[in-house]
Amino acid sequence: MSNTETLLSIKELHASVEEKQIIKGLNLEIKPGEVHAIMGPNGAGKSTMGYVLSGRDGYNVESGSVILDGEDLLEMETEDRARAGLFLAFQYPVEIPGVSNLEFLKASVDAQREARGEDAITSADFLKEAKAACKQVNLPVSFLKRGVNEGFSGGEKKRNELMQMLLLKPKLCILDETDSGLDIDALQVVAEGVNSQRSADRSFIVVTHYQRLLDYIKPDFVHVLSEGKIVKSGDASLAHELEAQGYAWLQTAPAEDELEG
Amino acid sequence: MSEWLESAITRAQSINDWLAPKRANALELLSTTKWPTRKTEAWRYTPLRVVERTKAKSIDDAAIRLLPVAIENFSAIELAFVNGKLDESQLTNALPKGLSISLGQNLSDSEKAQALSAFSTTKPDRHLFGLVNDVLAQDVVIITVEAGAEISEPVRISSLLSQGAESHTRVQVSLGEGSRLSVIEDIQAQGESLSTAFVEYNIAAKAHLEHYRFALQTGTNVSIGGSHFSLKDHAKMHSTIVSFGSDLSRLDTDIIHAGEFADAKLNAMHLLDGKELFDLHATVEHAMPNGTTEENVRGIVADRARSVFNGRIHIHRDAQKTLAELNNRNLLMSNTAEINTKPELEIYADDVRCAHGATVAEIDKQALYYLQTRGVSRSKAQVMLNFGFINELIDLMPNAALAEWVRPIIRERFAQMEVK
Repeated sequence: MSNTETLLSIKELHASVEEKQIIKGLNLEIKPGEVHAIMGPNGAGKSTMGYVLSGRDGYNVESGSVILDGEDLLEMETEDRARAGLFLAFQYPVEIPGVSNLEFLKASVDAQREARGEDAITSADFLKEAKAACKQVNLPVSFLKRGVNEGFSGGEKKRNELMQMLLLKPKLCILDETDSGLDIDALQVVAEGVNSQRSADRSFIVVTHYQRLLDYIKPDFVHVLSEGKIVKSGDASLAHELEAQGYAWLQTAPAEDELEG
Repeated sequence: MSEWLESAITRAQSINDWLAPKRANALELLSTTKWPTRKTEAWRYTPLRVVERTKAKSIDDAAIRLLPVAIENFSAIELAFVNGKLDESQLTNALPKGLSISLGQNLSDSEKAQALSAFSTTKPDRHLFGLVNDVLAQDVVIITVEAGAEISEPVRISSLLSQGAESHTRVQVSLGEGSRLSVIEDIQAQGESLSTAFVEYNIAAKAHLEHYRFALQTGTNVSIGGSHFSLKDHAKMHSTIVSFGSDLSRLDTDIIHAGEFADAKLNAMHLLDGKELFDLHATVEHAMPNGTTEENVRGIVADRARSVFNGRIHIHRDAQKTLAELNNRNLLMSNTAEINTKPELEIYADDVRCAHGATVAEIDKQALYYLQTRGVSRSKAQVMLNFGFINELIDLMPNAALAEWVRPIIRERFAQMEVK
């Protein structure tokens, strides 16, 4: 493994969906252990960024580079990106009836262990870990037996995403509007889960529309994404400024703070 | 008429054996049958060009030795046809009590007369290649289970073809009253080969047949065959058909409820890739009352492959209290693959329960992506998401050794298929 100072380096990324350009010159550097918040208005490209980084079909990179821990992320298949340590917590986690949550979690962990050349974990050991993770995110253990996200409430789905993160122990987690649709109690559970995973060798990109989540997950940096690029960066206090001002100022002076990104 | 059929008829005219009256009848029918075109309903989606162009020919080479596929934890009484000829050296001398297996020509006169009268009675005359098989199958094998005999070891009928070979195999099975038998039909064929393989089953009252047909040959093979069953009072059958596709792979099954309270289960699954074609025409005739039929046909079709399914259930006027269900489910993996499915119910009795349905689903790309973002490979994700409906049918196979043999073969084939 490389020991670079930078965990993630995005340079001049341009990407499109169905021939519509969404990401237009994105630059972002993240060091191990850092938490970066990405804020911005609807349609700025926040979710697209997560999909592009994870390699979703139909999200085409036109130019630029993305290096994760010394490796060229854009050259990899989606599953290899995950095995390299990337984790995307979905805004709208997918329901998969017919595949149990436990089977899904075990397959994910197995695939990643195998990719790292580690021995497979026994079903009994895994069940123990999965139950502990369930408890940590405040989901009943019975959720392991249910179809993946099948009939889960919005909050339960988000906690299920978090549980996957706990079990997969990624290097870089992208939380895509993990706060959307959560009440304050659920928000706290999710935030505590994230905070418990903060460490010197794990970084986070917290994508959110509102500042509220950042009261619980304190970011090291806050970036404003607008029209596919970062137009302003600052520390945690920027989030409060945005909360006070809203995003309207972006429309009047779109390129003003471009160089700060 | 095609040149191929003309040549088949010419070759058949030189055969003169114990089946002569039946063969003459089939020849007569063949000479008046029109070669199917796109307008022939039974062959509408299955062009016969590959038969017309085939270079396969009859190969009579005693040096060619082919063996049935080895299966772990499985042993059978082996009935192996090599390029159409029965390889008697593979057949055990010590058959279990109550079971007899013999070439038709070696039967006693009275047995011959019995076999002759049963020949081609379960298999309907409308199957063109059934008639071809009637006139060209040389080593016709007769399997008889005595009344009450329960044969625990399965009989495996293998049609084994070497490169470029043409083969016509025919077996006639009769189960005596209250007897039990398990039969596996298998084709193992190398390229450029052509086979017709037909088996007829007469299942007497209270007898029970467990049946399998594997057609896993692929590539340039052309296989046309049939499994035909007649069930008497309280007779039971449970059939599992597993098929891949090839240049042409066609199977006709006929299940005739010729007695009351007969019970038939048919589970068929097929997985097609590349430019393969598989065509299943399954007919069920409820001629008598109180019969039950449950038919599940499930397919996965990828790339430019084509599947054809015609499922006909015909409930005759007297077949009151019939329960019949026909279900066809398909998964379409690419937008260039083709599924032609046609369930047909024809009901003339007024007190029956009969249901049918056909569905075609596509793979859920969003779920596939979700699993991949967790590190699960695309092929593994595909299996996790969509193998279930095939796996269910494998789980229903009564023979565990066969299920465990075929499961990974099918799963692997599916895992290799691409979503397009």
